[in-house]
Amino acid sequence: MSAGSIDRRGFLVTTAVVGGGMALGLSAQAAVQGAQSVPWGPDAAFGAEFSPWIEIAPDDVITVRVPTPECGNGAMSQAAMNVAEELDCDWSKLRVAFASYARDFAEKGVYNTGFLSFFSGHSTSKLRLQKTLQLGASARERLKMAAAARWGVPASEITTRNSVLTHSPTGRKLRYGEVAAEAAKAGLLAEPELKPQGQWTLLGKKSPPKLNIPDITHGSAVYGIDVKLPGMVHAALMQCPVHGGKLKRHDPAKVLKMPGVRAVVVIDPANTAGAKGKTASTFGFADSLCQSGVAVIADHYWQAHKALAALPVEWDFGAGAQWQDAEAIYTAARARRDLGRGQVIRKLGDVGAATGKRLVEGDYATPYGENAALEPLNATALITADSAEVWAPTQDMSQAFWVTVDETGLPPDKVTLHQTFIGGAYGRRGQGDDVRMAVAVARQFPGKPVKVIWSREETFRQGRYRTPVVTKMHAVLDDATGLPQAVSGDVGYAGSRALFQMPLGFSDMPWFNNGVIPNVRLTSSAVPVNVLNGAFRGPCYNSHAFVVESFIDECSQVAGIDPLAYRLKLLAGWDKSWSDCLRSAAKGIGWGKALPRGEGLGIAISCWPVANARNSGTVVACAARVSVSKAGDIKVVQLDTAFDCGRIANADAVRAQIEGATLFGMSLCLGEELTIKEGMIAETNFDQYPIARMADCPQVNVHFDALSGHERLEIIGEAAVGPVQPAIGNAISAATGKRLRQTPFRKADLRWD
Amino acid sequence: MAKVRFKVNGKLQTVDADGDTPLLWVLRDHLGLTGTKYGCGIAQCGACTVHMNGAAVRSCQVPLESLGGADLTTIEGLAAKDGGKLQALWFEMNVPQCGYCQAGMLMAASDLLRQHPKPSDDQIDAFMSNICRCGTYPRIKAAIKRAAGVPA
Repeated sequence: MSAGSIDRRGFLVTTAVVGGGMALGLSAQAAVQGAQSVPWGPDAAFGAEFSPWIEIAPDDVITVRVPTPECGNGAMSQAAMNVAEELDCDWSKLRVAFASYARDFAEKGVYNTGFLSFFSGHSTSKLRLQKTLQLGASARERLKMAAAARWGVPASEITTRNSVLTHSPTGRKLRYGEVAAEAAKAGLLAEPELKPQGQWTLLGKKSPPKLNIPDITHGSAVYGIDVKLPGMVHAALMQCPVHGGKLKRHDPAKVLKMPGVRAVVVIDPANTAGAKGKTASTFGFADSLCQSGVAVIADHYWQAHKALAALPVEWDFGAGAQWQDAEAIYTAARARRDLGRGQVIRKLGDVGAATGKRLVEGDYATPYGENAALEPLNATALITADSAEVWAPTQDMSQAFWVTVDETGLPPDKVTLHQTFIGGAYGRRGQGDDVRMAVAVARQFPGKPVKVIWSREETFRQGRYRTPVVTKMHAVLDDATGLPQAVSGDVGYAGSRALFQMPLGFSDMPWFNNGVIPNVRLTSSAVPVNVLNGAFRGPCYNSHAFVVESFIDECSQVAGIDPLAYRLKLLAGWDKSWSDCLRSAAKGIGWGKALPRGEGLGIAISCWPVANARNSGTVVACAARVSVSKAGDIKVVQLDTAFDCGRIANADAVRAQIEGATLFGMSLCLGEELTIKEGMIAETNFDQYPIARMADCPQVNVHFDALSGHERLEIIGEAAVGPVQPAIGNAISAATGKRLRQTPFRKADLRWD
Repeated sequence: MAKVRFKVNGKLQTVDADGDTPLLWVLRDHLGLTGTKYGCGIAQCGACTVHMNGAAVRSCQVPLESLGGADLTTIEGLAAKDGGKLQALWFEMNVPQCGYCQAGMLMAASDLLRQHPKPSDDQIDAFMSNICRCGTYPRIKAAIKRAAGVPA
């Protein structure tokens, strides 16, 4: 243990006392509570380790250590469920813990599997699923070997069930915990075969609730903001409110005598030390660069917060101040787009050759949006001359770890990262800019753990926002069929970062790829601006789905064909599950029924992450019933969603994600918009940035009857954010005759009489 | 500075801190009760909801200096009061996603059921004004109704 580092046992005891009886590595308590999750990985060992992932204690408590953190999608519980499927263990004594990235580094990738190993999700991706099933099977066989040795019988005569080994011929029994120590030492000659999917008894059959819910409901789940360490101080942070600007002047003397204030520190991007050797961060560092700012460090957060508010600060806003308002940015993006020099991202046939008489044209837009995770950004760091220890609600441990290496310049073996629970992320906590800023502050107050909290206002001002999109669509309809003979689409992005100018949900839509629309030309362009954009639940897809599916709806209206029938025609030669999703959602909403004036139905479909390959991605269709009052108020009455992700591992977890993503998308298109004033984000709290509340919630129905049964168990966190937005927009059009081509809808004038 | 005595989860506490310190930060930083969450600081999101003298309040708006003699319940004390049923339903019905808002939701729901043992949809909508970014509203509503024994 390096000098200045916290004594770990001291930390555990402190946390246990202060936190009100968390079961920190106490197996007896864990057994009772069944679902404890502690954020410091292998150091909590209390049983026999079968692999870095699995530990079995004498009292049968099984700990599964998971590299993908829990941000609400159930990723951790899902990994445990995968292991349990093959391990035949008692679910009530299963707990999950966070894997340690330091261990992964030291042991050269023991937790590294498949795509984005440490990113919060993808727990049922093919490689991850196979690996976790194999870990369970391997542990089970080793338990059998140990029992066989005890009894002097062949392992083949032993069966397993619910954490009990039974010698079938004699009926003798042993619990897993009784032989765990020997089993952990046993080696297998060959890895066991996995059960075929048809023999699964847990995956796809049962829907256990997330293991960390009891901690959540009793206030004992430790999120990043809840970390407590001996001697910890608190910091309030302010970065230049115009992204890319610099601190010009400040006057620390004005606040240094305020109660509890310990220091005022300046964060200067020039002080980033830079990693000394090779790094292996998930996303690189370009989206986590240090920002110029100032922080007040005090005994308590409220003292730091107050002192920061009282601190005289002057900024050099730099080039970003040129943007008087957001509209200026969107105008620039449209101007760039309309130069006609965008990159061609999809070309089929010749759009100029189309000859139909009916044309459809629309210019669509979606604005900046804030992820607005309910836990404000934060991280805690303890930096000494030769070590760094960080506690963070990060969405990607690997990223947070290497960002810390990069900011401090320390060798990676001197850096420790502790994962905590995450109070919402939706893409915001993946790049590690939050961790970098906390480290940059704590470096200037060495030897003490510094908890750095972004106020809600700071979290809003320093977002990595939803990429705004301005898209012009044009179609020539076939005179005979009414389907598009040619489609041109030009998307313009406003954004600082190319990584978040993704075409998913746009150029990969099946009808732009499979020849059903014979002539297609889609282009992409971007205008660089200082306002930082980033990952936002289904990056760019969350805008493209709105654009494409509003436009297809407009095509159906011009063609005079029912919007559902129109889409079914477009999808006639494609995977049946797409049509099944549409039919199921339509049936749920009561498609075709007559409604009073001011009410309407709308439907839409999209797929994340890959739509142009067969049996790929999660397809979601959403049908919406909306009423618009004479005063123009929008009420979403009902949303019916049907989806196909192939197969499902935990039906209720999937349902929860589809419900949540549907409401996330609804909130986005109804009310969410960030504007800009002289280069700064204008909306800084929930009173100015309305997020849907209980009273906005419609009846939400999720239908499972479009599931194809294809062998993939595709990710389901993002897809449903897409189609709900055009479904609502299309329903508004049906209700009022007004076509809304930009969000948020609640800013449109929809009055009628 | 103010030295103030009040009860939290049945236990007498004395806190000596700046008088304007919001109860939210008194609980979190001074008493180590981090189950009560900071979300917005302006009474918008409800993540900081606790019970003060039996009723739900947004603790970010209650200064320490006003707390003399108050009787407070936080999420850590909800089970011992009357929250066990709600907490069990929250688990059974897999209500939370990220979970960050749920302490506030549970504290609000508990007070809702005290005031309206058989709440209507409108009463639930009006009372449960807390923000959940994950979109767990339908499950929260369903769990409240089940706790109240009213039809879903």
